[in-house]
Amino acid sequence: MKPFEEQFTAWVDGKLTGAELAEFEKQLAEHPEAATEKEDALKLGKLLRAHPTAPALGNADFFNHQLMQRIAAETPKPVEKKSTFFWSLPRLAWAGAFCLVITFVLFETIIPGGAKHIDKSNYFAQVVESWPGNPNVSASTVYSADDNVTVVWLDGLDYIPATYALNK
Amino acid sequence: MNELRPTPSNTVPTETPDVAAGPDDLDLVARSQAGDTSAFNELVTRYRNRAYAMIYNMVRNEQDAWDLAQDGFLKAWKSINRFRGQSSFYTWLYRILMNVTIDSLRRKQIEGGTEFDDQIGLHNIAPGAATAPKSEMAPAERISDKEIRQRIDEAIAKLSPEHRTAIVMREIDGLEYTEIAEQMGCSLGTVMSRLFYARKKLQVLLKDVYETI
Repeated sequence: MKPFEEQFTAWVDGKLTGAELAEFEKQLAEHPEAATEKEDALKLGKLLRAHPTAPALGNADFFNHQLMQRIAAETPKPVEKKSTFFWSLPRLAWAGAFCLVITFVLFETIIPGGAKHIDKSNYFAQVVESWPGNPNVSASTVYSADDNVTVVWLDGLDYIPATYALNK
Repeated sequence: MNELRPTPSNTVPTETPDVAAGPDDLDLVARSQAGDTSAFNELVTRYRNRAYAMIYNMVRNEQDAWDLAQDGFLKAWKSINRFRGQSSFYTWLYRILMNVTIDSLRRKQIEGGTEFDDQIGLHNIAPGAATAPKSEMAPAERISDKEIRQRIDEAIAKLSPEHRTAIVMREIDGLEYTEIAEQMGCSLGTVMSRLFYARKKLQVLLKDVYETI
């Protein structure tokens, strides 16, 4: 069962109905002043509604202006959307150019200079070792760069067979 | 704190929005949710007077009412994406404004050490007992509107935040018990009990007023 205060408030505001109202009105027989109390409460409500004390909002436009400034100050500025694809075309071009430069610099600094200037050979073969079949014969080779010729010098030969000839 | 003080002081109706025509509230809310501050500005224009009056009825101070209305609207803007349209925009806004105001009243109560003793003047009043008329004023004396408002201001200021909220919501804003309970986050029984004691105290303080007009 609701306390008296709750039922009394509901009764004043006309919210009690049916059996609840009948039951409460029985209780009110013990409170002869209740009718006056209800009347007072209704008069009070009427007084409060008839005399609203709130003043009008002065400087209403300034109210909005001030509020909008506060909103602007507290609203984070939108962040520029960044491309999710890192290797965009300009980036690729720049990266390619950079790689070429790095390769060139490495080539110039790391690889020894002599190796870069290999002379073209004027001959296709060079005799570096020779040995005759006859132990009495010694063989040596001489290369003449000016003449662009290799000479095979054989000592101890009795004769050179007619069928043996060197072709230049 | 704003540099310009609100100008006094005509009373305003509290039932209708300031601007009746124009886009629907829900359209403006949808645009606000998309980040359109001009749409929110329009909503502020519509409800600023009601909001201010409602808060003033609670705090009884123009500067405080201005600042709290600002805080309430700012909070509404920050939470606008949580509005799902299950109630009217004003009902939703009203709850935010009321929470901001009640929090402020409670803070002031704690910081200032103010005690709202709702039992003052009620200790000898049993439920159902007749209220005693205030003795200072002769029954035949007429009271001006200004005096009446001042007396009402003073009387409401003597209520605790909870009792003040309940009586303002019920008698001035015309809310139903369930709405008050929802707004205040308490049971229906608590609402009715608060209304009972708030009325009792105001009847003690204002009986001579409503008996003489």
